[in-house]
Amino acid sequence: MELALGISMNSLVLAAMYILVALGFALLFSIAGILNFAHGAIYMVGGYICYQFAVEYGLNVWVAVLLSMIVIGAFGLFLERFCFRPFSGDMFRTIVIAIAIIVILETGINVLVGSVGIRAIPILASGRLVMGPISITWERVVTVVTTGALLAVMIWFINRTKQGLQMQAISQDPEGATLQGVRIHQISALTCGLGCALAAVAGCFMGSMFNLSPFMGDLMLVKATEIVIIGGIGSIGGVLAGGLVLGVIDAALPQFLSGAATQAVGLGVIIVFLLFRPQGFFGRLV
Amino acid sequence: MKLPIRGGSKLTKPAVYAGLVVILAVLPLFMTASYYLHIFIMAFIFIVATVSLRTIFISGQISLAHAAFMAIGGYTSAILAKEFGWTPWVCMPLGALMAMGIGILIGYIFARLRALLFAMLTLLFGIVILEVSSVAGRWTMGYSGLTGIPALFIGSRVPYYYFFLGLTVLSLLALYRFEFCRLGINLKAIAQSNLAASSVGINETANRVLAMAVGCFFAGLAGAGYAHYTLVLSHASFSLLQSIYLTMYMIVGGVGSFAGPIIGAAILIIIPELFRGLKEFSPFIFAGILLIMVYILPQGLVSLPRLIRSAFTERKKGKRIAHAP
Repeated sequence: MELALGISMNSLVLAAMYILVALGFALLFSIAGILNFAHGAIYMVGGYICYQFAVEYGLNVWVAVLLSMIVIGAFGLFLERFCFRPFSGDMFRTIVIAIAIIVILETGINVLVGSVGIRAIPILASGRLVMGPISITWERVVTVVTTGALLAVMIWFINRTKQGLQMQAISQDPEGATLQGVRIHQISALTCGLGCALAAVAGCFMGSMFNLSPFMGDLMLVKATEIVIIGGIGSIGGVLAGGLVLGVIDAALPQFLSGAATQAVGLGVIIVFLLFRPQGFFGRLV
Repeated sequence: MKLPIRGGSKLTKPAVYAGLVVILAVLPLFMTASYYLHIFIMAFIFIVATVSLRTIFISGQISLAHAAFMAIGGYTSAILAKEFGWTPWVCMPLGALMAMGIGILIGYIFARLRALLFAMLTLLFGIVILEVSSVAGRWTMGYSGLTGIPALFIGSRVPYYYFFLGLTVLSLLALYRFEFCRLGINLKAIAQSNLAASSVGINETANRVLAMAVGCFFAGLAGAGYAHYTLVLSHASFSLLQSIYLTMYMIVGGVGSFAGPIIGAAILIIIPELFRGLKEFSPFIFAGILLIMVYILPQGLVSLPRLIRSAFTERKKGKRIAHAP
């Protein structure tokens, strides 16, 4: 019971983090056609900015998270305008510039703060939630609830607001949307900014639950790619499902296998899954 | 992506290449510092790997697991040499054949996936191979790294330099022949339009698997050479990042021509090494080259001469117009 509860809570927390990062990655890919490999690095920088505000400047953690979201969101707008928009439709140059951004961000953080010494954001909430025989740390509850709220807002935004509907229109047919007067560049800039802000939140939470490292984005990028593959391209439900599957695999398997074997088994499952269903759970074929 | 079907037919080109090889061959007489030899040897190894990556690329697929195939070749060769005491000269081709075998298997399984999905799946495959290499601890020594690999030559780096120079020249000749013979042209036809190619009787699957086989063979050879040169193989030697770097070498040099990956690998390996004094700042040099390439030279470094030439002719034209009454 104790073990099962622990595993399911850990799965939920991991899934929440994966979904936050993968959502921006998937949205940007399906709407603007940009394969933003720098998304993992942006997630990492989000964590470090939060650390800077919360620890060095002594601000409240939640204020620091909000500031980090704003800074990274603005960086996302910059990225879309000056790094991705000039090369829209040119997959190679987009990938090359994303790699350059990864190298710049990782090296920059490495030079500025260094990789020695443990850096962690102060915990978001302390104590444990006790309900009868069940006892969970408040931190995990807060993380999962906050992520759930953010995702609910995102889904409301995409399905109910004008901008969200325009996003869907572009992802279905860019030319048709342009003909209807949708300003495609503005919408992709908005998507990039929102996606980066969500990744920054994930970076803050991960930095609070575990430690920060300049290279923590690499693993997250792999996870985001896997989620997009599992869930299928162009489907938000797919991202949620893929994130949950991956969260369960990554939280449950280490109880029975060694860490490296977990990675291999998880990836093997994904490869086999893809061979039989290349379009993912809900997505369309590319 | 338009790929040229025929290479230059003028006699000057082979002469230039032969001259380059001769210069590289006499270089160790003047450049005795073993550190510089090391940089050149690494450049040779990665030139072979990058050009073999382009062989897969001309069939229209991007493999992001190329460093993993280097790892397969390297680990196979190193383990055979270490555990069974075979001479590295036998183990290296065996390692390359092993990489080729796995390449054929992967190429066959993934053959029906196109472009982006193929790239993503090979990416995952590369990670799986690395994880497997760290799980199989008895043979590969996992994260701590495989040490005590038998060396090809004892002592100085000069014999290594000549060995890798020869290996590179032979591999490049073979890959060049392959690209411009009928098989290579078939691959380019598939890349341009798989439907049109199949309709004239080119077997798409067989040809893509063939491209994987050839590409992975040379990647395995490069990896095996790397193993017997550095004598240490670790989890980090052939990471995901290395696969991405190989792709960067290819794109920065220019995917449209055979010389592109050679120039790209040579420049991106040698120039950051020149700035080694900057220590942790040196990755900025790599990123800087990428940015310059993306914003100024979208066709890759091979397009630089053409760009300069066209700039000159433009200026002449401009003058003529300016002087016209």
